[in-house]
Amino acid sequence: MASRAMARTKRKEQSEYYFDYSLLFIVLFLLGFGLVMIYSTSSYEAYQDYKDSAHYLKTQLLASILGLIAMIIVANIPYHFWEKFAVLGYIVSFGMIFLVKTPLGIKSHGATRWFRIPGIGLSVQPAEIVKLCMILFLACLVCKLGKNVRTWKGIIIMALFAVPHAVMIKVVTQNLSSAIIVMGIAVLMVFVADPHYKKYIVVGGIGCAAVAALVFWIVTSDTAAGLSFRFTRINTWLHPETDPTDTGFQTLQALYAIGSGGIWGKGLGQSMQKLGFIPEAQNDMIFSIICEELGLFGAIAIILMFLMLLWRLMIIANNAPDLFGSMLVVGVIGHIAIQVILNIAVVTNSIPNTGISLPFISYGGSSVMFLLIEMGLVLSVAKRIQLKEV
Amino acid sequence: MLTNPNKIAHRKKITLITLFFALILAGLFGRLVYLMVWRADYYAEKAVELHERERSIKAARGRILDRNGTVIADNRTVCTVSVIHNQIEEPEKVIQVLCRELGLSEEFVTARVEKYSSIERIKSNVDKETGDRIREYDLAGVKVDEDYKRYYPFGELASKVLGFTGGDNQGIIGLEVIYEEYLQGKAGNILTVTDAKGIEVEEAGERRQEPIKGKDLVLSLDMNIQSYASQLAVQAMKTKEADSVSILVMNPQNGEMLAMVNVPEFDLNDPYTLPEGTLYQTQEEYQNLLNAMWRNGCINDTYEPGSTFKIITAAAGLEEGVVTPQSTFHCPGYIVVDDRRIHCSKRNGHGAEDFIRGTMNSCNPVFITVGLRLGVDKYYEYFEKFGLKKKTGIDLPGEAGTIMHKKEDMGNVELATVSFGQSFQITPIQLLTTAASIVNGGRRVTPHFGVEVLDEEGEASQIFSYPVEEGIVSSETSETLRGILKLVVSEGTGKNGKVEGFSIGGKTATSQTLPRGSGRYIASFMGFAPAEDPQVIALAIINNPQGVYYGGQVAAPIVRQLYENILPYLGIAKENGDENNSSQSPADIP
Repeated sequence: MASRAMARTKRKEQSEYYFDYSLLFIVLFLLGFGLVMIYSTSSYEAYQDYKDSAHYLKTQLLASILGLIAMIIVANIPYHFWEKFAVLGYIVSFGMIFLVKTPLGIKSHGATRWFRIPGIGLSVQPAEIVKLCMILFLACLVCKLGKNVRTWKGIIIMALFAVPHAVMIKVVTQNLSSAIIVMGIAVLMVFVADPHYKKYIVVGGIGCAAVAALVFWIVTSDTAAGLSFRFTRINTWLHPETDPTDTGFQTLQALYAIGSGGIWGKGLGQSMQKLGFIPEAQNDMIFSIICEELGLFGAIAIILMFLMLLWRLMIIANNAPDLFGSMLVVGVIGHIAIQVILNIAVVTNSIPNTGISLPFISYGGSSVMFLLIEMGLVLSVAKRIQLKEV
Repeated sequence: MLTNPNKIAHRKKITLITLFFALILAGLFGRLVYLMVWRADYYAEKAVELHERERSIKAARGRILDRNGTVIADNRTVCTVSVIHNQIEEPEKVIQVLCRELGLSEEFVTARVEKYSSIERIKSNVDKETGDRIREYDLAGVKVDEDYKRYYPFGELASKVLGFTGGDNQGIIGLEVIYEEYLQGKAGNILTVTDAKGIEVEEAGERRQEPIKGKDLVLSLDMNIQSYASQLAVQAMKTKEADSVSILVMNPQNGEMLAMVNVPEFDLNDPYTLPEGTLYQTQEEYQNLLNAMWRNGCINDTYEPGSTFKIITAAAGLEEGVVTPQSTFHCPGYIVVDDRRIHCSKRNGHGAEDFIRGTMNSCNPVFITVGLRLGVDKYYEYFEKFGLKKKTGIDLPGEAGTIMHKKEDMGNVELATVSFGQSFQITPIQLLTTAASIVNGGRRVTPHFGVEVLDEEGEASQIFSYPVEEGIVSSETSETLRGILKLVVSEGTGKNGKVEGFSIGGKTATSQTLPRGSGRYIASFMGFAPAEDPQVIALAIINNPQGVYYGGQVAAPIVRQLYENILPYLGIAKENGDENNSSQSPADIP
């Protein structure tokens, strides 16, 4: 009897806290869908290269399981526990960037973006660690700065802390997109922490105008002139058909895939473009294969799932018990939103091509593991939401 | 907590950024709708182009038939052997088998097998048996496609007229070139879906675009006549040790060519092999020798026609009225024009003769006199009126133009030499056509081979028509001239061209080739029958005969033999009346 009474009170106690099942469901759905698409996309090439059509699927499945375990662990640890590791994480993650230059580094496509963890054989992209550590560190920093975050000084300090990592990711691992994401996360967190609007509107406006002016200048300048050579990436974006390099080829192939999908798609597994026309389609260009196989409806379903994910994250951020928790979730929102938007924009040739993966869906072990750890953090924050107070 | 203004500000901003992101995603969704709905067809089409590999299927080339429906150019099934780099599993074995079966050098095959391309052709026009043998090896990556090869059942006959086709089934010389658009047909395609490396995607199957067969071409050529004329030409070339012999047979009424022989001919089924014993050093030399072997002398080369051209001078003189058949001349064996003395072929002269006799004797002073009577302006006018300055328009490639003095450079001496067929050059076909036009009543016809093209059911789908220019001479002049030329054969220099029972008109010629004094002659004879209403006209040209070189003795017998055979074959009526008819007095002619 006593034990039953205890169980009841425990249940009652727990029910006062919140667990976001919707978020968990969305994450599991995206993961599962991602695995299906990775198998569909990679099986043909995997069979040719490894005589095992499930080669990529197996690797990704392992990473997903490890990630889910990590997520559950992190979700059950009060998030304030991590506060004391913020500075350490900030420094260690910075150091890890340089690991790719050691013998542990893995070179691929002319850039070293991974290092191998000795013994396990798992390769890790330090940029993913940096993203997680940066979110944690900046969330702590916002709390430390308190009201100072509203001053220009506070803003500049916040931004400056993100710069070394971003620059090193670009310089050492030649990964512009991850550098953009790290900076994007920092800017977003500053923006949210500071209640003012005006200065951001002004700075943002100037930034947009500068980008527009640059693009306009490149478009109107003579393409034969030497200066446009530096902007090959942008020229390729504007005229993928005329560009014979890999980037233009890849972009064009993605467009062929998307266009030939049409409204209803060719059906799961029926993609032609995955037969080597889009190199390593399971990576950054996986969304184009989703479009080809599942059509416009498949594409909108995925976009809607991401929107729902962002919506759940927003609810959690808005109801977080304290600023630290809220800022952690804001960082995760920034990470996922920026990456999804950039990925789809690249695949549809809406912006110049830069290698960026689609969260939870693209092939990539470290990416999915660290994303799941971030989800664990978010779930941990969600757990502290006291329903009584809402 | 809710009252905390900071918290409210944060919430506002978090909601704002989420909405901002949602907005961008909506924008990207719009972009997707554009790409996948409005641009879908464009990209889908591009993608299909990318995924499909084409292998063309040759269209069967149209056959060529002679006027009796005999097939003279046909198609044979042959194979094209290609390799697909990515599908080759045992490159050594592939190279070895292909070298052995196709008789190719190892470097050649290795280079192609190792070349990274979607499909590489090794050899076309491979015998069907060889193709089948290669297919039996069942080598991965080796494709044997069947197609057609041109086949000429008559081998050498009319080789320079018909021409042949190259490995891609495209005409290279002769009628095969001129009628390419009808004969060619339209190649089909086998479209196979492949992955990026060019490996076929099995389940996707293949799509075929069927080839469209070329149309059959019917010629005016008669292979029986061609064959007989060829025999005569070969025989004459052999006995007279001549360089070459040409025989042209035409219907003067409409310009239809019945035969065109140029010996030595070459084997159409093996056009790249030079006659045995031909020596050459360089590839260029080899090509030049080939071109020379393929050259159709009747069309592509010009010569000084000599006395056969007197027909033209006579026609001009009669038409203009400067001479009548009864006009009298005196030939002392030469004639002085300005300061030049031009000899007659008979050095001691023909003495007094009328125009008919003069023609029968082929007397140079007579024709020089007629030419001088006309004068440069008139003569030139007739030269152009008869169409001698233009090409004949025959349906063979590379017809040579006339090489003639400029009118302003022509003095009496030039006029005199032109009058008996020297100092200018025309093609044999030009001479034949002009002569035909003069004796047929004055209609300048266009010599031609192509009569019609047939559709698949064998019905005429297009009948060719050729221009005819009326009235280049009056029918009276034509008639008069026919009478005179008949006498040339029955009693004059052309009597070796006489055919028992038929009335033949004709003219001989013996011309020395340039440079003069080289001892090289061209003997020729032109004859038509029946003399009263010509249905067939033939020209025989013997180039550089050894021994006797007079046209009347060398060329006229060839035409006689030809006519003895083909006149009954063509159904030309024998001359009615008795033998006396042929010994009609010259005076009877108006």
